[in-house]
Amino acid sequence: MADLGRAVRVVSAADRDRVGAILLRRGAQAVGVAVLVSVLCFLVVRRLPGDAAYRIAAGRYGYDLVDEASADAVRAELGLDRSAWRQLGDWLLDLVQLDFGRSLVTSRPVAEEVGYYLAGTLQLVAVALVMALVIGGAAGVLAARRPGGALDRLTSGWVAGVRALPPFLLGLLLVLFFSVHLGLLPAVGHGGATIVLPSLTLALGLSGLVARVTRDAVVEVRQSEYVRFARTKGLSERRVLVRHVLRNAAVLLVPYLGVQAVILIEGVVVVESLFAWQGLGHALVHAVFWRDVPVLQATGLVLALMIVAVNTAVDLTVRWLDPRPRAREAVA
Amino acid sequence: MTRLRMLSAGLLIALVAFALIGPLVLADPTAQHLDHYLQSPSLAEPLGRDDYGRSVLARLAHATRLSLVLGAACVATALLVGTAAGVASAWLGGWVDAVLRAVSEAFVAVPALLIVLMVSALASGGSVWALYLGIALAQWVEYFRVVRSRSGLVLGSPAIEAAGLLRLGRLHVVRRHLWPDLRPMLTTLASLGMVTSILAMSTLGFVKVGLQPPRAELGLMVTESFAFYDAAPWMAVAPVAVLFLLTVCFLGLRRSETVS
Amino acid sequence: MTAPTSLDLHRVTVRHRGRPLVDVSDLRLEPGRPVTIVGESGSGKSVLAHAVMGTLDPGLEVGGAMSVGERRLDLADRSNRQFLWGRDLALLPQEPALALDPTMRVRGQVAEGVPGFRRRDQHATAVAEAALGRLGLADAGAAYPHTLSGGMAQRVAYAAATVGGARVLIVDEPSKGLDPASLDRLADLLAEHTAGGGILLTITHDLRLARRIGGRVLVMREASVVEQGPAEQVLDAPTHDYTRRLLAAEPSRWRHRWAPALPPADPSPALVTATRVTKSYGDVPLFEDLSLRIGAGERWAVSGPSGVGKTTLGNVLLRLTSVDRGTVEHAPAAGGGRLQKLYQDPTLSFPARVRLGLAMRDVVQRHDVAAGRLEELMTAVGLPPDLLDRRPAQVSGGELQRLAIVRAMMARPVLVFADEATSRLDLVTQEVTVDCLMTELSDTGCALLLVTHDRDLATAVADHHLDLGTPGRSRPSLAGILPA
Repeated sequence: MADLGRAVRVVSAADRDRVGAILLRRGAQAVGVAVLVSVLCFLVVRRLPGDAAYRIAAGRYGYDLVDEASADAVRAELGLDRSAWRQLGDWLLDLVQLDFGRSLVTSRPVAEEVGYYLAGTLQLVAVALVMALVIGGAAGVLAARRPGGALDRLTSGWVAGVRALPPFLLGLLLVLFFSVHLGLLPAVGHGGATIVLPSLTLALGLSGLVARVTRDAVVEVRQSEYVRFARTKGLSERRVLVRHVLRNAAVLLVPYLGVQAVILIEGVVVVESLFAWQGLGHALVHAVFWRDVPVLQATGLVLALMIVAVNTAVDLTVRWLDPRPRAREAVA
Repeated sequence: MTRLRMLSAGLLIALVAFALIGPLVLADPTAQHLDHYLQSPSLAEPLGRDDYGRSVLARLAHATRLSLVLGAACVATALLVGTAAGVASAWLGGWVDAVLRAVSEAFVAVPALLIVLMVSALASGGSVWALYLGIALAQWVEYFRVVRSRSGLVLGSPAIEAAGLLRLGRLHVVRRHLWPDLRPMLTTLASLGMVTSILAMSTLGFVKVGLQPPRAELGLMVTESFAFYDAAPWMAVAPVAVLFLLTVCFLGLRRSETVS
Repeated sequence: MTAPTSLDLHRVTVRHRGRPLVDVSDLRLEPGRPVTIVGESGSGKSVLAHAVMGTLDPGLEVGGAMSVGERRLDLADRSNRQFLWGRDLALLPQEPALALDPTMRVRGQVAEGVPGFRRRDQHATAVAEAALGRLGLADAGAAYPHTLSGGMAQRVAYAAATVGGARVLIVDEPSKGLDPASLDRLADLLAEHTAGGGILLTITHDLRLARRIGGRVLVMREASVVEQGPAEQVLDAPTHDYTRRLLAAEPSRWRHRWAPALPPADPSPALVTATRVTKSYGDVPLFEDLSLRIGAGERWAVSGPSGVGKTTLGNVLLRLTSVDRGTVEHAPAAGGGRLQKLYQDPTLSFPARVRLGLAMRDVVQRHDVAAGRLEELMTAVGLPPDLLDRRPAQVSGGELQRLAIVRAMMARPVLVFADEATSRLDLVTQEVTVDCLMTELSDTGCALLLVTHDRDLATAVADHHLDLGTPGRSRPSLAGILPA
């Protein structure tokens, strides 16, 4: 009972306290993230050299038609002629009102464009996640049945190999193999079979880590005292697996998925660029290249908020699975 | 030292030697010899020449040096800042902890790539400084969180209470408790950090943000070589192989694979 | 004439790489006559129990056989008893808190032991609730394990293990971390099981529990049985030397030169004065308006069940924790490192990754300890000098606690706070350790504050006794000076 002061607080009956605390914390994180992304974009705007504004105008109107006046117009649009603090104030005010302005390149409202891209990214991420969980989860559970066995070592090797390959290399290899050499799957485009290669690229990288974590979690849980006790109570192996092992292994696995969300989003950016998939990552890279700040801000924000959303889901799921009070906070 | 670690270390030393000595000894990577367009590997040029007639081997050496030096700089900065912040947070607690945690919470949900992308958007035409700042900014949070949680555990243990009763002082706590506990973890994180930094640089080169041609960078070399894959496959294989080897070596240097 | 349902063990042997862990000749377990195996850690008693059950680690070689009625089962084949688990053979595990799935409600964990259990089985749930009710846990069905106290978790584990109706019950070290009241309740349950015609095999190092259970007692030492017989005989008038040594290590039988004597007429100068201190922990009040005065050279014992706040009181008195109300004052003599503490788990109180010699040298330098004092103290407590080359995890609990005593004494303390410092040790090791501590304390005139839930230990060591009673009760009783 040493040092109770720092240990677990007395558990009160209402579960709502914990859920409320989770939502509050994630809400604050979302706000913090939004501010960070916005301030970064604001700095980008402030540092835009003259010819960048010129370039944006050129991108919009075409190089032949652009002149000093249109570059000035772009500068005025971005508010570069006002004082720094006023600009930041106006900028953040726009953010709060959810006014993202118009794309500097296409002149369409940013909200509209982002909506379109968001759908594309969500499709990709959903397919990739399902693939990764199925492949990785199954491999992990099977490998855990015989730690040190053939399947276990194969899985470890596969995880290590996949870890060493950055997504763009993996994607290139897959394109080379499936599209160029075998001609089985289309490399670029939109819709239908074209989702296979990009989501497979994402899924392969992710599934390695899922397999690893699942395997470690299942091995640890199977060696625990409560699984031993469950067996000596007379339960069959299958019942022990379903009633005890799966849930406790999930408690170890789910927080790790929250961490993986960040890596997944980074992979999304790369994969969408490689396969020219119309999603937020693709839009983000283009926005950086063209210094299209409104789009840059919006896509960056949505991508980061997706991570906050995933982590919120992770927190709530862990809370549902595991009733123990958390003396230490979640991973991300 | 297991055999794997020794092998990784050996290979890494070879690569570092290549990266440091190569640029001094080999040909000028920017010198173009357009008459030697896509020349195949020969004795004089073991990796041939690229589409501008430049020596692929020389470019590779410069690119490797860039990745290693920049990666080391990013990791060192992130490690120092993150560790200092983590220890301060765990030791001092109170508002210091609250502020640092709030800042890190905002950073942790923004993917490293995003931060680097935005920071490189800050600089015009891709400067090394922007890359360095971006990658370091993206990585410090991990060190902070891990060091803070570990230090919290160590500082809350009975051993620290006993040391306090024995009036052994703060330096003792750092020398005998914190540092021995953090060191193995930090070396593992540093190797992983090198991998992340090098891959981030090459990924940015791949999406044509960050460093710009004619700079020799591994990711850029991969992208540029793709158009000529049929005619000159060695142009693509070389940088990919170096990237892969670097990653495998750093991963192999770690002590053990544990998830938690 | 034996009833047809007795359990016979034939020459059980367990080896680990050739080294014998258990080597026991034939043993018969009869219904209604409990058998208890006592011994210290390393004697092999737990290994024997697990060998019978079939839950040993795969790396151990098992020999011998077991007969249940007519049927003879080879112990080397681990899987041949699995069909008996739950229905005929039940095992009550060592640490009940760890044996319960933290993510599942208590009721479900008991219900799944009912034979013929299916998902959402209402009959099984009703049986489970009835079993819990009989154990005084009628409201605990919907609770999660982490909200249960040690005693409650023990009862839940009991319900879960026995709800299948097993007649043979093996109980493995039930007293770990349990306070005397919970232990008594468990002994009652075990008596009920035996009275109902069940077979009981108990493994324990707690001699009081063995006496309470009665029946037949076997004393194990280093893999074999050195003495056996009826409990009243073996545990009161043993014939074997080792059993005598074991009994002598019980605190109630201690005869040492530092045993508490009548205190001097004048009260000694105060070291720590606590005035009307109050502390709560969340909603639970620990103590209220408590005033205490520890004088130089006095020996205090604070006892009570677990959860009542004994450790917190000690921490408060040493000013390691703050109080909600009231004050704690230290005399000038008690400043500057003159208050030291011994921890329940000594491994956690040394820097984990540093050689012990280095850690001790830090203390020597800091406190200007005279040359040779460290060696002198180590010899006095019986520790070999090469112990200092090892790390904390490579040293046994008893030895490390003695090294902690050496470390504490080097700081020339006026008060040592021993926080359950011997709770995890065997009887004999406990006696050796307490002897070392008390010898040093009486030689230097240092005061002692001992926190323990073992009343016999408190009586054997202290001259002032504070009983914190039950949790939530804010009126602790101050027992006066106890006669020697």
